[in-house]
Amino acid sequence: MLPMMRSQSMKSRRSAEQWLLGSMALALAMAAFIWLVLGPAPAAPAYRTAVVLLVASLLTSLIMMLRVGNTRRQMEAALHGRARAEQHAIEALRHSEAQWKEVFEHNPVMYFMVDAAGIVLSVNTFGAAQLGYSVSELLGQSVLKVFPTEEQPAARSNVAICLENIGKTHSWEICKVRKDGSSLWVRENAKAVRRLDHQLIVLIACEDVTERKEAENALRQSRIYLAEAQRLSRTGSFGWRVASGEIIWSEETFRIFGYDKAPSIKLETVLQRIHPDDRVRVQQTIDRASRDGKDFAHGYRLLMPDGSVKNVHATAHAVADASGGIEFVGAVTDITSRKRAEAELHEAQANLAHVTRVTALGELAASIAHEVNQPLAAVVTNAAACLRWLDREPANLKEVRSIVQSIVEDGNRAGEVIRRVRALVNKTADQKAPLHINEVVNEVISLVQHELFSHRVALRLELAPALSPVLADRIQLQQVILNLVINGIEAMQPVKDRPRELVIRTRQDETGQVLAMVSDCGVGVAAENADRLFDAFFTTKSGGMGMGLSICRSIVNAHGGRLSASGNAGPGATFRFTLPLHQEDST
Amino acid sequence: MNGRPASSHTPASAEEPVVFVVDDDASVREALRSLFRSVGLRVEVFGSAHEFLQSTLPNAAGCLILDIRLPRLSGLDFQAELAKADINIPIIFMTGHGDIPMTVRAMKAGAVDFLTKPFRDQDMLDAVTTAIERDRVRRDEARMLSGLHARFATLTPREREVIALVTAGLMNKQIAAEIGIAEITVKIHRGHIMRKMAAKSLPDLVRMAELLGIGPASGGPQT
Repeated sequence: MLPMMRSQSMKSRRSAEQWLLGSMALALAMAAFIWLVLGPAPAAPAYRTAVVLLVASLLTSLIMMLRVGNTRRQMEAALHGRARAEQHAIEALRHSEAQWKEVFEHNPVMYFMVDAAGIVLSVNTFGAAQLGYSVSELLGQSVLKVFPTEEQPAARSNVAICLENIGKTHSWEICKVRKDGSSLWVRENAKAVRRLDHQLIVLIACEDVTERKEAENALRQSRIYLAEAQRLSRTGSFGWRVASGEIIWSEETFRIFGYDKAPSIKLETVLQRIHPDDRVRVQQTIDRASRDGKDFAHGYRLLMPDGSVKNVHATAHAVADASGGIEFVGAVTDITSRKRAEAELHEAQANLAHVTRVTALGELAASIAHEVNQPLAAVVTNAAACLRWLDREPANLKEVRSIVQSIVEDGNRAGEVIRRVRALVNKTADQKAPLHINEVVNEVISLVQHELFSHRVALRLELAPALSPVLADRIQLQQVILNLVINGIEAMQPVKDRPRELVIRTRQDETGQVLAMVSDCGVGVAAENADRLFDAFFTTKSGGMGMGLSICRSIVNAHGGRLSASGNAGPGATFRFTLPLHQEDST
Repeated sequence: MNGRPASSHTPASAEEPVVFVVDDDASVREALRSLFRSVGLRVEVFGSAHEFLQSTLPNAAGCLILDIRLPRLSGLDFQAELAKADINIPIIFMTGHGDIPMTVRAMKAGAVDFLTKPFRDQDMLDAVTTAIERDRVRRDEARMLSGLHARFATLTPREREVIALVTAGLMNKQIAAEIGIAEITVKIHRGHIMRKMAAKSLPDLVRMAELLGIGPASGGPQT
C-alpha cells in the first residue's frame, strides 16, 4: 500500500509544475495585451515592442504548454510503467507469501507461536493435525492443553527458560498428548523473540520423534533386560581385542570382579583380582588363546579385597574383527554358590559313604576279627616257644632272637589291620594322592578273607604288574572295591552247582586309563535292571539298603572315572571301573 | 615233662614221631614250628592241603594240625579227602571264632581235638601228645593186624575152613562131621593152624579170628 500512495503524489506534483509554467507564459501574454489596449499612447516602437512581446509570450506559452504536455505524457507513461512493475512485485510477493504460508501450514514440522503466558498465538495446520486438533481449536488456548499432566511442569519451565534467554534457541524432548489421549514424543526447538510491538513471544518448532524414542526405549528396555538377566544368572560378558589389549566389560562383569564401572579395563587389572594360586594358569590360558586365536574356557578363583574367594568360569569365542585382528567375545559366570552347593553335596555323599562303609565293616566284623586273630595267635604261640627256648639248659638265645623278630612282625601286622579298619571307619576328607590300585585291591581282600571263606568263594587275582599310579582317595577306592567284592560274593550265594569264583583283574585299558574289574559267576544282571543297578535304593537283595553301588558310582565319577556293569558270557556279572592316570600337571 | 611226649615212649616204629602243620598263614605255621621245636618235636609245615598230599610221609607216628579255614580245600574237606585215601592220621583242628558248626562237624568226622586261636601252648602240646599216642596205638594195632593177615595168608584153604569152625567153638568131632574128614586130620590141621598163626592158646586164636573178622559163615577174613 505504501509505494502506491507515494507514486500518486509524485504524479500530481509534476502536473502542477507544468500548469505553473503554462500559467506564467499566459499571464505574461495577458499583460502585454492589456498594455497594448489600455496603454497611454500607442507609440509605434513601443507598440510594436508590445505586439512582439505579446506574440512572443503567446508563442512561448504555446511551446511551453506543448512541452509541458509532452513531458507530462512521458512522465505519466513512466509512472504507469512503474505502477505496473509495482503491481507485479506485489503479485509476486503475494504468491510467495502464499507459498510460504503453504510451507508453514503443511511442513511436517509443528510450529507454535505462544505468548509469554503460554497462550497459542499461532499454530500450523500440520501441527494442529498431528495433535488431532483443528487450528481454531488451539488458537487462544493454553499450550499446556497438548501436554499430559505430568509433563506440564516441564513444558512450563521450558517456556520460562526461553523467556529468560531471549533470542537463544533451546531444545528438548518432551511427551505430548493428542486430543484422543494418545501420546507422542517430540523434539522441540524454541526461542523467545520480541515483536515490533514489544510483545514477547516464543516460537516453537517440534518434530515427532516417537518412533526413535520407541526404538530407544526398546533398546534401553532390552539393555535393562540383558543387565537384569546377567545379574540374575551372575553371568557377565566381555569383549577383548587382542591387538589393542582393550577389554570391555558388562556391568555384571564389573560386579563379579568387584571393580567400579569403567569404559574399558586393562588385562593387568583383571589378573590382579585372580587368586594368586590360579594366576599363572590363567595367564597361560590367556597367552595361549591370544597366540592361537582359538576359543577357550577356563575356571579360576578370584580373591576379593575383603578376602573372600569367588569361583568363576569363563568361556570365550574368537571372532575376527574388521581389521582381521582377533577379538574374543565371552561370558564369565560366578559359580561360587554352585561350587558351594557342589561341596555340600559332596559332603553329604561323603557322609553317606561313611555310613555305608561302617555298615559294610559291621558285616565284615568276623572277617576282621579273623585278620587280627591270625597274627595274635602267632604272637602268643611264638612267645610261648620263646619261654620254652629260654627254659632250656642252656637257653637258646639264637632261636629266641629270631622268634622275637617274628613276634614284632606279627604285632605290626595285627596293628596294620586295625589301622585299615580304623581308616575305613574314620570320616576323612578327600585326600587324593597318587597310589597303586593293586595295593588297594590287596588291602581290601585282606579284610574279606573270612567272607570269601564262609561263603565258599575262591578268589582269583589277575593284577597287571607295573601299573601306573592313579590319583585317588585310598579309603574311597577301598570302599568301591570292597563293595564290589561283597556284591560279587552275595551274588554267588544261590550258586550250588558250580564252584563260586570271584576274579579281580586290573590292567591298563586302550585309552591309557587304569581298568579294574570284579567278576563273579553268580546270578548275573537282569537286562531290565542293568540301568537301575546304580540308582540309589535300588536293590534285589532282601537285606540290602541299595546304596552301595550308587555310592560306588558317585565315588568313581568324582575321580573322573566310570563304573559300569554287564552280564558275563557265562554265568555271573562283571563290574568294571576306570580311573584316569595320575599326571604331574593335573590340578 | 608233658611237653616231651616222644621221650616217654619206646618208639614203636623206626622213626620218631612227626607233627604236621597245615596252615595258609605263614606266621601261624612258623610259630607252631618254633613251639614244637622248642620241645624237641619233629615238625613239618605246609601252606596248603595240596602241599601236604604231595609230600612223602615218613613212616612214623604223628599227627596233623589243620586250620579249619584253608583256602580252596577247606580243613573239613581235607579231612574227608584223607579218610577217603585211608590216611588215618589223627587231626587236631585250629579254629577261629564263630566256627562252632564246623568244629562240630570236624569232631564228628573223628578229629582228636580242636583249639581256638589264639590257644595256650600247653593245650596244643597236650593235644599233640594225645594225638601221637593215639596214632602210635593205631599204628601198633595196624602193624599187628597186618602180621595177622600175613600169617592167615599162609593157611591152606582147608586150614581156613577148620580155623573158622574151631574159633566158632566146635569140637574136633563136630568139625570132622561138618566138613567130612577124619577127626585125626582135624587135629593135625589145628596143630598147623596154631603154629602158623603163632597162637599160644585157643582163646588167643579166637581173639585173632575176631580181629580178622572170621566167622563160621564167612569162611575167611572180611577185608
